[in-house]
Amino acid sequence: MVLDLANALAESPLRTAVVYLLGNVPGLPPIVQTIHILSVAAIMGSVVLIDLKVLGLALPSQSLSELARRLMPWTWWALPTLALSGAVFILARPASYVVNPVFRLKFAMLAPAVVLAAVFHRAMAGDSGFWERTRAREIAAKVVAAVSLLLWIGVAMAGRWIAYADYLFPEGP
Amino acid sequence: MGLSVAEALTALETLPISAYIGESWWFPFLESIHVVTAAFLVGSIAMVDLRLLGLAALGQPVGRLTKEVLPWTWGACTLSLLTGFGLFATRATHYAGNIAFQLKMALLVLAAVNMAVFHLSTSRRIAQWDTEGTPPLASRAAGASSLLFWIGVILAGRWIGHLL
Repeated sequence: MVLDLANALAESPLRTAVVYLLGNVPGLPPIVQTIHILSVAAIMGSVVLIDLKVLGLALPSQSLSELARRLMPWTWWALPTLALSGAVFILARPASYVVNPVFRLKFAMLAPAVVLAAVFHRAMAGDSGFWERTRAREIAAKVVAAVSLLLWIGVAMAGRWIAYADYLFPEGP
Repeated sequence: MGLSVAEALTALETLPISAYIGESWWFPFLESIHVVTAAFLVGSIAMVDLRLLGLAALGQPVGRLTKEVLPWTWGACTLSLLTGFGLFATRATHYAGNIAFQLKMALLVLAAVNMAVFHLSTSRRIAQWDTEGTPPLASRAAGASSLLFWIGVILAGRWIGHLL
């Protein structure tokens, strides 16, 4: 099904347009990749930094609720920017991305990372002290933060490894 | 008898470890660490820069925010430099001649000088404006320059691979 979607994209005029732009606008590929990396920087400086805070490793004097209110909008804006800047490259070669095992791994880590962030901060929307009310919640918050941290680092590292999938899996998927 | 730059670059890239990195999974491994730490570096320093510009975290005193964020920025910076050097060593002569790489190094120096000037002069009177929403012009200028230099570092860094 994913392959059908990839094939449909490959035959769409949108792909023709994207391929044309990437090939003919000087510097467009590194500029779009830079937007992607700067959005990753926003992820690192928001949801990842909050994970470090919850784990007791960073920003000790700031309250979790204040930090979350201030930083989470960066995460929620970075995600669509990442999706758009990433989609440019997927559109250019849809079939080669969807069969790429590292690309699949990246999205297999991205989905739970986004869900964890949404659940964690949804709980704080109604009660800003939600994760600090009981000892059990504090421990749960630390577990969520540790998993979230590892997932986001994994997503960002996998992103760079997509280009090396042939090296990891020389016999092909 | 001194070693010329060209000889030093050749010596570096012909080290057994350089060849080993270049021909093994170590290259993409170091490269992925390089990207993650660079993103963390820029994401954390941007928070301080935006505070200096009076655009974010206005409830936080500049001094305290800086003190709590910058250790993470420096940690990421150290890892980024080490992994970057490992990547550079694999094809030192080639990278040294790459215009995007040269530009990236120049921007890194500018970012470092900007930071040094801020810490050695502007931030000395920080007590006078620590809790103000809009810091003085020199501080705002330091924040704006830092943001621009680091965005430039990322752009130039990403461009290196397109000139191979």
